[in-house]
Amino acid sequence: MTRFLWLIRRELWEYRAAWILPAVTGVLLVLAASFGHVDVDIAGVRPGPSALGGALLFGFGIVFLFAMLAYSSWYLLDCLNADRRDRSILFWKSLPIGDAQTVLAKLATGLIAIPLVYFAAADVTTLAIAFIVSLRARAWIGTALWHPEQWLQLQALWCYLILTLAIWLLPVAGWLLLVSASVRRATVLWSLLPPVAAVWAERVFLGTNWVGRILVNRLVDGYPATAFHDLSGSLLGALGFPGASRTAVPASVWELLAPARFLAAPATWIGVGAGVVLVGAAIRLRARNVDP
Amino acid sequence: MPPVIDARDLTKRYGSVLAVDRACFSIEPGRIVGLIGPNGAGKTSILRAVLGLTRYEGNLRVLGRDPWRERAALMREAAFIPDVAVLPGWLRIDRAVDFVAAIHPHFRRERCRAMLAKTQIPLDRRVRELSKGLRTQVHLALAMGIDARLLVLDEPTIGLDLLARRAFYDALVEDFMDESRTILVTTHQVEEVEKLLTDVLFVNRGRIVLDGPIESLARRYAALSVDPARLAEARALGPFYERRTPGRTVLYYEDADRAALAALGDLQVPDVADLFVAKLSGGA
Repeated sequence: MTRFLWLIRRELWEYRAAWILPAVTGVLLVLAASFGHVDVDIAGVRPGPSALGGALLFGFGIVFLFAMLAYSSWYLLDCLNADRRDRSILFWKSLPIGDAQTVLAKLATGLIAIPLVYFAAADVTTLAIAFIVSLRARAWIGTALWHPEQWLQLQALWCYLILTLAIWLLPVAGWLLLVSASVRRATVLWSLLPPVAAVWAERVFLGTNWVGRILVNRLVDGYPATAFHDLSGSLLGALGFPGASRTAVPASVWELLAPARFLAAPATWIGVGAGVVLVGAAIRLRARNVDP
Repeated sequence: MPPVIDARDLTKRYGSVLAVDRACFSIEPGRIVGLIGPNGAGKTSILRAVLGLTRYEGNLRVLGRDPWRERAALMREAAFIPDVAVLPGWLRIDRAVDFVAAIHPHFRRERCRAMLAKTQIPLDRRVRELSKGLRTQVHLALAMGIDARLLVLDEPTIGLDLLARRAFYDALVEDFMDESRTILVTTHQVEEVEKLLTDVLFVNRGRIVLDGPIESLARRYAALSVDPARLAEARALGPFYERRTPGRTVLYYEDADRAALAALGDLQVPDVADLFVAKLSGGA
C-alpha cells in the first residue's frame, strides 16, 4: 500500500499543477471576496439566510468541481503519454513496478487524489471567504454563512461526489488512459475524434443516435439524475427562484443524495464494466509502449 | 550456477524487418560481457528483449525468469541505463533517490548518496537544470545504488567527457563488480571497454557472429603481419580478412596452424577492435 501511495506521490510531483491550480483558484476567490462588492440580489429575490449560506458554499464548490473535472481529464489524457514523449518511460520501466500498478496508480490519481486536493482547496477557500465576508458584509449575510451544520453537509457532499463520480466516470477515465497510451501526440484530438466519428457515422448510415445519447447520458445528465434526487429543482428552489417548486427545497444535503438508487442503477455497473475493459486495454498497451 | 542470461533462437521483428535473427547465447555470472556491433545491428533490440521491454520470439530466460511476463520481478534484481538521458526533466534529484529507495527492495541509499556526493551536484536541482553529462552521472548513481545481479548498460558513456568516462568505468569495476554480478554493456567504441571485458558477443545484422571469453579469442584467432614476398603463402593458409599497412599486409586467421603461420612473419594476438573490424568486414 505504501508503494502505491509513493506512485501517487510521484504523479503529484510530476503534475504540480494538480495542486497549484486549485491553490491559485482559491486565492483568486479569496481576493474577490476581500475586495469585491458583496451583496445578494438575484432577480429581485432575497433568499432566506440559511439557503443563501448553502447556495454560496455550493456555488464555490461547483467552481472547484468543474475545474477539477477539467484538470483531471487532461491529466488522465497526458499521464501515459508524457513519459513516452521525453523517453523517461525507459527509466520508469527499469524499476520494479508492474505496468498494471503504474496504470492503476495513475487512474487513482485522476479519480481520487486530484479530486481530494481540489476538495481540500475548496474547503480552505470557503472557510476563508466565509470569514472575510462575515467581517465585511451586512450582518445578515455574515450570520447566514456560519452554519456548522451546512459545513458538515458540504464535506459529506464532497465525499459522496468523489466516490460516485469515480465510479460513474470510470469508463471515461479508462478511455482517456487508453488514448494516452496508444497515440504518440495530439491526445486531445484523438480522445474526441473516435466518439464524434461514431456519432456521425451512426447518424449517416443508420439514421439513429444511440451513441450520441449514451455519451450525453454519461457526460451530462446521467450522473445528476442517477446519484441525486431532483438536483436542479432543489438548487433553483434553494435560491428562491419563483418558478421553482418550493416543496423541492431540501432541508439538508442528505435529502439530495441517492446512493441506493445510484448503486442499483444498471447504467452505473455497465459503466464500471466498460471502464474495467478500457483500463485493462490501457495496461496491455502500456506494456508495449517502449516499442517504436 | 545457472546462466544469468540464456537465449535460444531469440528473434525480434519490427513488421517485415528482422532486427534479431535466431540469436543464441548464454552469459554466466561474474562476467563483463560486451555486446558489440555497428549501428542498427540489433544490439538495442537484444537488450530490450532481455529487460522485458519488448516482445520477442524464441526462448529467453534472464535470472531464471521470462522477461516479458515478469519484468517487474526481474527489475528487482537487474538495473538498466539506456543510451539516452532518460531521467525526466521535472524530477528533483533528492526525490529521485527517495522514490527509488521507497520502490526498490534492493536499493542502498548510502551508496547512491556517496556517488552523488562525488559529482557535487546539488540535490535540490531538477534534472532539466543539469548538463547532459551530469544527468548521466545522476542516473549512474541511481543504478549503482541498486544491488543488482545484472547491470545492463546501453552505450552508457555517450555524451561524457574523457574524465567522466574513466571515472564511470573505474567505479563500475571497483564499487559494483564482484563474482556474483554480471554486466552486459553495448558500445560501438570497442577501445573504451576492451580492457574491462571478460567476454564478447559480436552482433551484425541481427546475428551473433562471435561469442566467447576474451582468453579464448587469443587461442582461436591470430593476426599475421607479412612482407609482400610471402603474401601468397600466407593467403594459402586461409585468412578470413586482410588489411594493408605501409609495406606489409596483416592477415587474420581463425583456428589456424600457429607454427605454420609463425614461419611466415610476425604472429600477434588481435585486439578486440581489430577482430571486430575483421569479423564484420570479412568473416560475417
